[in-house]
Amino acid sequence: MRLSKALPLGVLGVFGLGLVAAQAQETVKIGLVQPLTGSVAYNGTTDVNGSKLALDEINAKGGVLGKKLELIIEDGQCKPANSVNAAEKLIQRDKVVALSGAFCSSATLAVMPVAANYKIPLITGVSSNAELTEKGNRWFFRATETDALLAKSFAKILFDQLKLRKVAYIGVNDDWGRGGVAEFEKQMTALGATTVMKEYFEHGTSDFYTLLTKLRASGADGAFVAAETQDGSIFVKQKAEFGIQTKVFGVGSWATSDFIKLTGASSEGIYAAVPYASTMETPKNKAFVDAYVARYKEAPGKYSAAGYNAINILADAIKRAGSTDAEKIREALTKTDYEGPNGKFKFDAKGQASGFNVVLVQLRKGVPVVTATTSVEQ
Amino acid sequence: MDLFLQLLANGLVIGTFYALSALGLTLVFGLMRVVNFAHGELYVIGGLLGWALTEQLGLNYFLALAVVVAVLAAIGYAVDRLMIERVRGQGEEPTILLTIGLSIFITNTALLIVGTTPQKVPSPFESKPLFLGPVVVTQSRLFLVFMCAALILGAHLLIQKTTLGRAMRATFQDQMAAQLSGIRTGRIYGFTLALGAALAGAAGMLLGSIYVAQATIGGLVSLKAFVVVILGGMGSFAGAIVGGLILGVSEALWGGYVATGYVDAIGFALVIVMLLVRPYGLFSKRAERA
Repeated sequence: MRLSKALPLGVLGVFGLGLVAAQAQETVKIGLVQPLTGSVAYNGTTDVNGSKLALDEINAKGGVLGKKLELIIEDGQCKPANSVNAAEKLIQRDKVVALSGAFCSSATLAVMPVAANYKIPLITGVSSNAELTEKGNRWFFRATETDALLAKSFAKILFDQLKLRKVAYIGVNDDWGRGGVAEFEKQMTALGATTVMKEYFEHGTSDFYTLLTKLRASGADGAFVAAETQDGSIFVKQKAEFGIQTKVFGVGSWATSDFIKLTGASSEGIYAAVPYASTMETPKNKAFVDAYVARYKEAPGKYSAAGYNAINILADAIKRAGSTDAEKIREALTKTDYEGPNGKFKFDAKGQASGFNVVLVQLRKGVPVVTATTSVEQ
Repeated sequence: MDLFLQLLANGLVIGTFYALSALGLTLVFGLMRVVNFAHGELYVIGGLLGWALTEQLGLNYFLALAVVVAVLAAIGYAVDRLMIERVRGQGEEPTILLTIGLSIFITNTALLIVGTTPQKVPSPFESKPLFLGPVVVTQSRLFLVFMCAALILGAHLLIQKTTLGRAMRATFQDQMAAQLSGIRTGRIYGFTLALGAALAGAAGMLLGSIYVAQATIGGLVSLKAFVVVILGGMGSFAGAIVGGLILGVSEALWGGYVATGYVDAIGFALVIVMLLVRPYGLFSKRAERA
């Protein structure tokens, strides 16, 4: 009697243990390095949210190679040294088969040699400094625009439609901000605009009055600003406090719901160039926005889409590779033909994506209204 | 000339804010000889608590400020009596390690509860531009300058004129003599840290209404506060004010006439010069005990 009672339980137990063990073994791991603390932590977190949404959608459809996909997330703080440590940990200890990261261009630049060293594919949906794909690193893929591509797509719109002639350039003082300013200045100057001011500020700057004083004195009719949510929102708010009417055109995450919430009425009329806006009208985007809003109670921003795309592209490549062998995944990545919420992605020989859409939005009464759409071509 | 006036005004306003955010740090150091590395994090708690009370619970701004001051004072008192008490008299390193540990703990707890999103404390005053001749300021900024002056004056009077303040000064001049004359020195240490924490929290909430309150800005706040304290002299109120103004104005002028890109370097350049020329700061009372 006792035995007959105990036996099924024992069997169940062993079976259960076996199941757990089997599940623990049978996941395909992807490493995600994002800034979860520091001045761009907010943006890093939205990337993670997008990535998790993609992960759950993939797993709901049966995962990859008959196994569940697993995401292991590390905080790179947008700093090169911390991001390298995070990548080393993910590769050596967690044995991930691919990496997504590391947000800031300078951090991604530092992780790239690590990925090449261990022969692990690395994809970024965020880092837009043009030089990254010029390094000849065959393990690196970029599923977003570069500053140069964005500048090329938008300079004409700024010149023809917004009629900017005397331009002030303001950027955050890092590779991305300086790169963005340099590229836009080059394209705008080629079209015949003059540069009246060029200034940089540090990540986490809380007071822009000095910059705004200079902007007012420069007589610019438009200001190009490369900044992320936190710095950008403070800039826009203080510009309104300061009472200057200069048109503002921003790159970075300017069309997110949090940006709009933080800036309130002062964001009225601001222009932003974004590779993604939640108001883009494609069927894929509608489905993505619905799923995202249902889960996170806010509309997805640029980086939510970036994280979502990066994980989907990796999962798609692993499926087509038919194995977790790094070389095969890399091979599959080069043949990517993925359609995300913001259009199609294909990689060229340098690992740079093209074919997807970028939009110019204007913030009107707290809604990013798409005023022009153009696709990124080589 | 207009440019200069505007830059000067910006610098003076920011300088007052720097002075306010450094006040708690200089007070705790001057009186207790405790280098509080968790100062910036107390500022963060003040800002986030202020945001939660006003934006989330709909409390009146000034009522919320009073609650923030009270809560932070309680936290400061508890931190001293439960933690710093245990390492008192063991030299400076244990307290430094303790406050660094505390700062990490607070940051991560705040991240867990509030997350990374920057939050804004709604200001009771207009943030529309106000034109004073060629100079632009906003009501909310002028109000903050006034509040800073009031807080600095209030803290000064508390320490110089009240019985509690006299007991504080007595305790830190000679603990034994203070005990002999009936002062409960253990409590006095607690009250001093409570005052420092309350000032940090008030600064966090006040400045959160024109900048942002965010879990991760504590480090930056501490860094600037250290610059102000070293410039002005550790433990000096006048020093904190002058140090803050010097930092604010020199950052504004450097940013305005040279480049805004490396403006954070100015503060540290000033610190290096100050350490070479007057290592105890502009206003230090060189009352080092034997």
